[in-house]
Amino acid sequence: MIEFSDVGLRYGNGPEILRDLSFSIEPGSFHFLTGPSGAGKTSLLRLLLLSLKPSRGRVTMFGEDVTHLDQDRLLQMRRHIGIVFQEFRLLDHLTTFENVALPLRVLGQPEAEYRPNVTELLEWVGLGERMNALPSLLSGGEKQRAAIARAVIARPKVLLADEPTGNVDPDLSSRLVHLFAELNRTLGMTIILATHELPLLDQFSYPRMLLSKGELVIHA
Amino acid sequence: MLEILRLLKAILPRRGGAAPIVPERSVAGRTLLLMITIMSFLSAVTLGGVVLVQKSAIAWSADVGREVTIQIRPVEGEVMESNLRTAVALAEATPGVASARPLTVEESQKLIEPWLGAGLDLSAIEIPRLVVVQLGDPVDADIAKLTRDLTAVKGASLDTHAAWRQQLNTMAGAIVLSGLMVLGLIGVATVLAIIFATRGAMASNREIVDVLHYIGASNKFIAGEFQGRFLSIGLQGGLLGALAATLFFFIVGTGAGNMLSSEASAQVGVLFGRFALGIDGIIGIAAVIPVIAALTAITSRLTVRRFLAQTS
Repeated sequence: MIEFSDVGLRYGNGPEILRDLSFSIEPGSFHFLTGPSGAGKTSLLRLLLLSLKPSRGRVTMFGEDVTHLDQDRLLQMRRHIGIVFQEFRLLDHLTTFENVALPLRVLGQPEAEYRPNVTELLEWVGLGERMNALPSLLSGGEKQRAAIARAVIARPKVLLADEPTGNVDPDLSSRLVHLFAELNRTLGMTIILATHELPLLDQFSYPRMLLSKGELVIHA
Repeated sequence: MLEILRLLKAILPRRGGAAPIVPERSVAGRTLLLMITIMSFLSAVTLGGVVLVQKSAIAWSADVGREVTIQIRPVEGEVMESNLRTAVALAEATPGVASARPLTVEESQKLIEPWLGAGLDLSAIEIPRLVVVQLGDPVDADIAKLTRDLTAVKGASLDTHAAWRQQLNTMAGAIVLSGLMVLGLIGVATVLAIIFATRGAMASNREIVDVLHYIGASNKFIAGEFQGRFLSIGLQGGLLGALAATLFFFIVGTGAGNMLSSEASAQVGVLFGRFALGIDGIIGIAAVIPVIAALTAITSRLTVRRFLAQTS
C-alpha cells in the first residue's frame, strides 16, 4: 500500500532531515512511529500525507508513484488519508458535529446524507452528548476523540496520527491508542501513529518504526 | 452577472443547513463591510450627482434652445415702439416660430435691477428693449431668415444663446467626466482595499485553510468558501451604501427646500432641478449594489486563488 525507496528529504539547501528511507506498509497494518524529538517524525508524516515531496527517492502509495503528481491528483490521493494532530486543530467556530462532518462537506455530500453517519460515529467515540458543543467547551480527551472522528469519517485507507496523546494524561493516552486499535481492527484501516512515549508503546505489540538522526529502523 | 448567480447558488443552499466554514463575524469582515459601505455611498452619491447635473444641463439646454431674443438698442431718430412691433411681426412671420412678445418697460427695468438697484427712475433714459421669441421647433426654425430680416430694423440684433449653450454643455460635460473619473478612482480604491482585506482575512484564517487542505479540500473549494463570504459582505455593503446615498439625496433635497429662502431655493431648483434624482438616478444608485458585490466577489476570488496557489 505504501512503499518508500531510498527516500531522502531536505528543506531548501539545508542538510538531509531524512536519509535513505526504504520500507513498505501493508494494508490493514498498525505501526508506531517513534524516536526522540527532532528525529524527523513529523517530516515523515508530512511525506506520508503528501504535503511534502521527497528530495530524492521514490514514494508509491495505493499503487501509484506520488513523487511527481500534479496538485489536483495529490488532493484526490490525500482524500484517502486521514490525519490526527497533537493540537487537535478543530475549527473553533464549528460544533463538534460540524467539525467531524467537514471532510464529507468537502466531498460535496449533502447534510441529509451524512448526518446519520456522523451522528453514529460521534456516539461510537463517546461524543454523542457533545455533538452540538463548540471545541472550546470540550476537554482535551474529547477534542482528540473529535479530531479522530473527523479523520476517519470519510473512511480513509490510511490514518496518520502525529503525537495524538501529547496533550492528554497517561490513562487517557492508553484509551486513545485503544481507540486507534479498534479502528484498525473493525474498519481494517492502515494506521501509523507517531509518539515518543515509550511506556505507551510497551502496552501494545504493534511493530515500531524507530526514527533516529534521520534514519529508520523497523522493529517487528 | 453569471458569476454572481453562480456564487449565490453556491452559498444559498448552505444558509439553511450547516454553518459556514469561514466564520461570518470577524474583525476583517466588519472592517471590509464598513469600507465597502463607505465606497458604495461615495459611488452612489457621485453617480447621483452626475445624473443630476446631466439632467439639469439637458433641461437647461432644451429650455434655452427653445428661445431666442431680439435686442433693439435705442437709435437716434428711430421710434422704439415702432421697431418693436416690426421686430415682432418679422419674428412671427418666420417659419418655426411659435410666438414673439416684447418685454414691457417695467420688465426690462426689472432685468437690469440687479446691476443698477431697485427704485431708480429710468424713464429719463432709453434702455435697450427685448423681444422674446419662442420657437415651436428649434430644429426647423429658420433663424438665418430672421437674422436677415432683422437687418431692416435699425439697432436690432438676434441672440440665439448659442455661445452660452456651448459653454453650458462644455461645463456639464466636464462635470460628468470628472464624476466618472471619481467613480473610476473609487472603484480602483475599492479593489485595492478588497485585496488587502482579503489577504488579511486569509492570513487570519490560515488555520482553517491548512485544515481544509489536510482533509483534501481543493483550492477551488476553499476559494468558493471565502468568495461566498466576500460576496455576502459586498452585497450588504452595497445595499447599505446605496440606502445611505438615497437618504442623503432625500435629506439634502428636503433640507435645501426648508433652510434656504424661497428665492434661493428657487435658484437652486433652477440649477439642480430640486435635487430630485428621478427614476434613472434611482436605477443608477440601485446598480451600485450588484456592481460593488460583483467587484468584491471577483476581486476576492482572484486574490484567494492567488494566495492559495502561493501557499499550497
